[in-house]
Amino acid sequence: MNAISVQNIQKAFGGNVALKDVSFEIPKGEIFGFLGPSGSGKTTLLKILTAQLEATGGHAAVMEMPSGMMQKTAQKRRFGILTDNSGLYERLSIEENLDVFRRLYDLPKSSIDQVLHFVNLNADRKKRVNVLSKGMRQRVTLACAIIHEPELLFLDEPTSALDPVNTAHIHKGLRYLNERGTTIFLTTHDMTEAETLCERVAILHKGEIRAIGAPDELKKVHRDGTLTVELTSGEKERLSMNEDSATAIAGWMSRGQIDRMYTNELSLGDIFIKLTGSELV
Amino acid sequence: MNVSLKRIQAIFIKDYKEFSRNYAVSIMILFPIAFALLYRSEAGDQAAIYAFIMNFSLAMLTSFVQACLIAEEKERNTLRSLMMTPASMLDVLIGKSALVFLISAAVLAFSTYLFGYETSNVMLLTAALGISILLYTAIGTICGLYSKTLLEASLSVFPVLIIFTAGPFALVFEEQYPFLEVLRYLPSSQLSELLVAMEIGAAAGELATPLIIITVWAVVLTVISFILYKKRLMDQ
Repeated sequence: MNAISVQNIQKAFGGNVALKDVSFEIPKGEIFGFLGPSGSGKTTLLKILTAQLEATGGHAAVMEMPSGMMQKTAQKRRFGILTDNSGLYERLSIEENLDVFRRLYDLPKSSIDQVLHFVNLNADRKKRVNVLSKGMRQRVTLACAIIHEPELLFLDEPTSALDPVNTAHIHKGLRYLNERGTTIFLTTHDMTEAETLCERVAILHKGEIRAIGAPDELKKVHRDGTLTVELTSGEKERLSMNEDSATAIAGWMSRGQIDRMYTNELSLGDIFIKLTGSELV
Repeated sequence: MNVSLKRIQAIFIKDYKEFSRNYAVSIMILFPIAFALLYRSEAGDQAAIYAFIMNFSLAMLTSFVQACLIAEEKERNTLRSLMMTPASMLDVLIGKSALVFLISAAVLAFSTYLFGYETSNVMLLTAALGISILLYTAIGTICGLYSKTLLEASLSVFPVLIIFTAGPFALVFEEQYPFLEVLRYLPSSQLSELLVAMEIGAAAGELATPLIIITVWAVVLTVISFILYKKRLMDQ
């Protein structure tokens, strides 16, 4: 069963084409990463999937319903969303902000304690939002998006304003949510985040998907077919994968001269640059 | 349409907390009270002066506060966050309007008491003011939804304040400028006419017409505010 199914989605704003025939499927329970630079169409697609924007063409289904149905109350309970536009009530405390969402989702009071633990903000629950740092606000916004433990979670740059310790804490929490059945659709610029968190990623550039697959698969597909041997003498040898190289390696091994040896794979960032000619910023 | 009292209550409580901590907006409750105290000892046409205080208060308190509450949610993107929760359009609009309605009703009642306005038909006065609060709340919602920022919203209320408050007074030039007759159909003019008619003990038919016109305004503007809200659910 697919959590998200997108078939030939197109979106144009006047003469500007934002999405060109984008198609992909995300099975239930997956963490899927959408990679792309600013303006590549990530947020446009996210808005179409959450019924905030109408597509010009194609079909998108979320939880096996047309994406336009996501504005229905029953459907809205099934997903959570965090975008860079998600706002908080500045004059209310962290706890009061969460209490608004708790009441809207008709949840018990204990859900606030659980989600505050999840985002590591229990000690700061009484602080007003207008005195919080950017990273803390990001964590409160995330808490508001997940307080109801949604079946499907849309996250737009969830850790962009966080330090490494809190990023690791959030990643751990997202994996926990995923283990409990939440499908996660994540857009990110952070290649490490995509590699460590996502089962599959898609690379979007100028409204088109340039590659899709598991990070390891993409690396295999785009590897350059060479390996590097580091010798105990400190020399590095870059070899093609052929019979001559095998003979050379066997010789070094018999003499105990190999320090370490590895295939030369591109990182996700390198793959993105290779496919699009653009740097991820 | 999906309506939930729990969700309405959640929005109401949230708005109450925000309103009580936002002094730039909550100070507006003092205007009707100050006007009532200022004009209480004025001699002359009591109904006309009272109508002016009510019309001014409805624009300055009801419309202004509602426009600010909505515009602030838009400016800070919390309205979109609210739209993404199970809260339906009616939950949000009723929840947000309920606070402004109750504050307006309490402040107008207190101002009426301070001014010392007396009427033999309390029911009719209550109905006229109640419907007027709904109407001015809808105007505030429209101003708030059209504005991108809080500042824009507070400025957008001023044309409403000028036209609706000054409209009944401009009718004295009606004979010189016949086109001004159109101002007679403003809800503020109708409220003035109703209060004057009540004072002179007019027949039921004469009392019903202004009330019907105010109700038509309230229904039309409420429908427009709903349509506009629905449009704001989607990006263009």
